[in-house]
Amino acid sequence: MIWYNDLNDGIILSTRIRLARNIEKTPFPSILKKEEKEKVRGVLSDSILKSNSTLSKDFELFKLDEMTAVEKSAMAEEHLISPQMIKDNEGAVLVNKDKTMSIMLMEEDHIRLQIIKGGYCLDEAFDLADKVDNVMEESLTYAFDEKFGYLTACPTNVGTGMRASVMMHLGALVMTGNITRVLQSFSGMGIAVRGLYGEGTDAEGALYQISNSVTLGLSETEIIEKLKTVVERISEMEKQARKMLMKNREDDLKDKLMRSYGILKYAVKITSKEAKTMLSEVMLAQNMGIIDSDGKMTPLELIIKTSPSVISGDGGLSPEERDKKRAELIRNNL
Amino acid sequence: MDLFSELFGMFDDFDNMFTVSTIPKETKKCPVCGYGWSDFNRTGKFGCSECYKTFRDGAGRVLRQVHSASEHSGKIPSKSGAEVKAKRRLEELRKSLKDAVAREDYESAAKLHAEIKEIEGSGIK
Repeated sequence: MIWYNDLNDGIILSTRIRLARNIEKTPFPSILKKEEKEKVRGVLSDSILKSNSTLSKDFELFKLDEMTAVEKSAMAEEHLISPQMIKDNEGAVLVNKDKTMSIMLMEEDHIRLQIIKGGYCLDEAFDLADKVDNVMEESLTYAFDEKFGYLTACPTNVGTGMRASVMMHLGALVMTGNITRVLQSFSGMGIAVRGLYGEGTDAEGALYQISNSVTLGLSETEIIEKLKTVVERISEMEKQARKMLMKNREDDLKDKLMRSYGILKYAVKITSKEAKTMLSEVMLAQNMGIIDSDGKMTPLELIIKTSPSVISGDGGLSPEERDKKRAELIRNNL
Repeated sequence: MDLFSELFGMFDDFDNMFTVSTIPKETKKCPVCGYGWSDFNRTGKFGCSECYKTFRDGAGRVLRQVHSASEHSGKIPSKSGAEVKAKRRLEELRKSLKDAVAREDYESAAKLHAEIKEIEGSGIK
């Protein structure tokens, strides 16, 4: 099941493990010419598609320069490729049938292997990433240094090359104004906090990605255990904040969330920012049992499907047209 | 696999690398990708994995700054890390041997000793 349809407990929404790998004696993608990238890309994709593993039949290869803008933005929306890959347009991606695995080729590193799943399953996702990594290594020689570990284009990924991350919905911590304080309390622990679409993006809709920032000096298991501790503590604080809101300000809370639901159900046009905030509030309301979850799409799926680039598709819609299309999509599916 | 041996063939010989390492840091270039330290300073990224060897001291400093550590302790790839794996195994065996001797378990010690000899025999120290 695609990650945004399984909302788990409504606080810890999805899990992602990413491994960065490079092959030896070959410059990193940023300084390779287009033809060179294609050549290396072929060798890398063969390590899966021509392997003896059952994985070879599960994956399909997509070359960015052969895809339409709609296909690309849909893949970025599903977090199967990065915005950087679309910009560069010279990479390729291997995606498995249920879209829980994507192997980006020629992104910042030669290989960015990613497992993305709904729910909270760091150990399971890491085991899977580790297995796919082993299959690829059968036919590739990775760039590895005895002291530094796996070598990557950016020093921030050297060592394990692993970024483990968990997406959290922290609606009550945002609403009670505690979010900054909570997140700051974990600074200095080798943990990074980002918005929905990764580095440099805002945490719109109270959606946060919590990940490890340190990749060297700790083993993969140690990194995951540390992340779990932080994630579980934040989750506990969000639960407390929800309880406090219900206990002390039940009417105000219900009024605010139901008003958002009402607007989303009847608005004729709505901006991306307003939609994100209100969908996030409906997500909170559904999770707290204030509103039934009986829509065709989850609020999270609607947040993703109504972002400006996705709603616009290939049509090149004006902002006004986008706002109308967005409102209609939400009205019909929430 | 060496896709770029043709492209970078001129840098293949080791003599050339040693010459490179003796010239001052500012003019030192990576033999595989041609990056200099100034390119790293400009982009914050290395050009290839060989850069970590070429600019070893600088890279080590950067890694310590970023991660507050400079020694990898995670997964080791089976191919490019075969030797590292053997070294780690050897360390474990030596420790077990010491423990076995300490508790006068000479049967286990003999077995461990034989295993250590076998690994050492393949040139790993």
